[in-house]
Amino acid sequence: MSTDEVESTFFRRTSRWKLIVLLLVLALIITVIVSLNVGYAQIPFPDILGILGKQIGLIDPSLISSQNEAIIVQIRLPRILAGVLVGAALAAAGVLYQGVFKNPMADSYVLGVSAGAAVGASFSILSGIGFVFLGLRLVQVAAFVGAISAMFLVYNISRVGSRVPITTLLLCGIAVNFFLFAVVGLLEVIAGDELHAIVFWLVGGFSNVLWRDIWAVLPFVIIGIVAAYFYVRDLNLLAMGEETAHHLGVNVERAKQVLLVLASLLTAAAVSICGLVGFVGLMIPHLTRLVIGPDHRILLPTSTIIGAIFLVICDDLARVVATPFASTLELPVGIITMLFGAPFFIFLFKKKKQSYAA
Amino acid sequence: MQHERLVANLVLLNVDGVECRYGSVKVLEDVSLSVEGGDFVGILGPNGSGKTTLLKSISRILKPHKGTILLNEADIYSLKSVEVAKQLAVVPQETSIGFNFSALDIVLMGRNPHMKRFQMESEKDMAIARKVMNLTNIWHLAERPMNELSGGEKQRVIIARALAQEPKILLLDEPLTHLDIMNQLEIMDLVKDLCVKEKLVVLAVFHDFNLAARYCKSAIMLKDSRIFAAGNLTEVLTSENIKSVFNVDAIVQKHLVTNSVFVVPLSPQKTSSYKKCSIHLICGAGTGTALMKILLDEGYSVTAGVLNVLDTDFETAQFLKIPVTTEAPFSPITEKTHKANLDMISEASLVVLTSVPFGFGNLQNLEAAIAAVERGIPTFVIDEVPIERRDFTKGKAKALLEELRSKCAEFVKDQNELLSILNVSVENLKIAKEERDRILAHLKPEEVPKETKIRSKDEKS
Repeated sequence: MSTDEVESTFFRRTSRWKLIVLLLVLALIITVIVSLNVGYAQIPFPDILGILGKQIGLIDPSLISSQNEAIIVQIRLPRILAGVLVGAALAAAGVLYQGVFKNPMADSYVLGVSAGAAVGASFSILSGIGFVFLGLRLVQVAAFVGAISAMFLVYNISRVGSRVPITTLLLCGIAVNFFLFAVVGLLEVIAGDELHAIVFWLVGGFSNVLWRDIWAVLPFVIIGIVAAYFYVRDLNLLAMGEETAHHLGVNVERAKQVLLVLASLLTAAAVSICGLVGFVGLMIPHLTRLVIGPDHRILLPTSTIIGAIFLVICDDLARVVATPFASTLELPVGIITMLFGAPFFIFLFKKKKQSYAA
Repeated sequence: MQHERLVANLVLLNVDGVECRYGSVKVLEDVSLSVEGGDFVGILGPNGSGKTTLLKSISRILKPHKGTILLNEADIYSLKSVEVAKQLAVVPQETSIGFNFSALDIVLMGRNPHMKRFQMESEKDMAIARKVMNLTNIWHLAERPMNELSGGEKQRVIIARALAQEPKILLLDEPLTHLDIMNQLEIMDLVKDLCVKEKLVVLAVFHDFNLAARYCKSAIMLKDSRIFAAGNLTEVLTSENIKSVFNVDAIVQKHLVTNSVFVVPLSPQKTSSYKKCSIHLICGAGTGTALMKILLDEGYSVTAGVLNVLDTDFETAQFLKIPVTTEAPFSPITEKTHKANLDMISEASLVVLTSVPFGFGNLQNLEAAIAAVERGIPTFVIDEVPIERRDFTKGKAKALLEELRSKCAEFVKDQNELLSILNVSVENLKIAKEERDRILAHLKPEEVPKETKIRSKDEKS
């Protein structure tokens, strides 16, 4: 192989990144529009495009049926956008967790973040208080607060002087995770009539999403992902080991701190809308890495968008798979992500597992 | 003038009174050193003496509890990570790569300190990566995933990454562990070259004295967390220092070909609880060197002679504290020394004649062997090199050797055969010697050597 070929291959690869991201964004937009057509009420495509056009002031409003408009704008659109936000946030958080921990099994469970959210949510469901804070339901606020508190708890227990070694972080995280899920189990046992609500929250779903939920988590998701992008090259270097990253000019402790806070913030924001949706944070980064390679500069944006697409499609399935049996029944999206995502991942993994064998 | 300008551009690393601790355990104590551009410093010391800790404190992994480390007069711990990474690169002992990056990706990561946050690799970065990968001979591996490379290839990728940082200081922590000998020399030649031409400072931990000796201008030797010796390599790498720091006997000599010091560590002396018996070596020109050490280790007491002072075998004997009958350098054996040698031989329970070359100067050593046989002392002749090739006495030596053969000296083909015979026949030897004593007592009672002492030792075996 000639040397110029190596160089040009490299530059061709990196210059293709923008195109890949652009295509994925396009795919996401198409997914969102197609998903608007999915649901119990049959609304023809031209009407959907018309409704969307009306929202941005392009189409004469008189042509649209107001019932269909309400279904699309007030029910389907927020739900689909929630899928986009949650999918993006969980996948991005997964990239950050796996990068910082240098461990392919790392996700929001390792720092106890998911468990913290689960405890917060379960308590608030049990309390039965219909409290609304800035337009948000108590469950959402409690899940968010629980997630962030668990992360700080684990982080502070793990600290050795000014450093936070990954090993202690992992061990403390797992211990706290087990403890908190034990608390959730305890709450489930005494829950009585509320048990169904807790279980439903634990699997995750989008059935009650409103516009105000979107507005509440949007800033967290955007800030989280944009800020994480500042650290993509540091993530590459952290994969070489903390000492090596340090030798190559990374302020390791600060990078770790910022990245873990961002990942937990993203997770907390996501689960506060929809409960614990599994699989996305763990598997989407993997899946993307199999296809696109390990470089975080492209891995983070692509995982984020693929996570969004994946979750929107899963939610579509959640809405339709059960309709032949009971027209109004829908499955929790968390079940769909695992039921369909895991086999797909295994299929891909079988094909490309060589690159995983160390 | 030019020299002065050069000096002004040199980096300076100053380590002053550094003390590092893990908890309450001091792992580095009162370590000071100062290096500047073009220095190649070897860090030597046994396991746990603080070598790696010293590199860690310089590379800002382990902050010293006391003392300062200055990089160009700035406290290295007050500098930003990126600033340090532009000047200082580290090749660690072990590396693990998290995800499956290609070799080129990894070398390009060495450019990180020189890139802005959202900058992509430029043509210049690529050119540098290509240059260092060509230097380390891995450009052909550029697109291969790191996980598929061999240990040696990985190590060269890591070294290339360090060089891609364009550092002024390079810290190497046993960088050659995974490399075969050719790769070791290749990489070290490259580093040495950069050190000389680009005034790179190299601080390298070595376990191999000879590699250190070959490349380092100066060295520090650590013992129990402290500097035991520091300075020019030849002052530091002495057999006395090696003995007191590593507790190993070693021969330190200047090598004729490489012109650097070379070290031959000797395996720790096996302390036999008894002396098997005493063996007298008739040798010279290095033919007895290996045997001396082996026989000592086996528990024999060894004597040698006649050896000229300055002969290789003489120096070995000196080092191993073996009694020797000596003759002045480059002088023929005189009657007086020959007699002294015969006295020494008669103390021995066994005589070994090595494949030493014979000239008129040492022909008497052959006569000494014949005398030994005549006195009934079991005599082994190592006939490894045909006598024709080592006889420089126009056949006289050959004739004497034939005489030895006719007098029933035991001929063996090499040293190994001798050793295998010795291992089985020590017991028989004792019996043979007793028999000889009886015969000698009949023949010349007054000439019986002082055997009683030797036999009393033998009896224990």
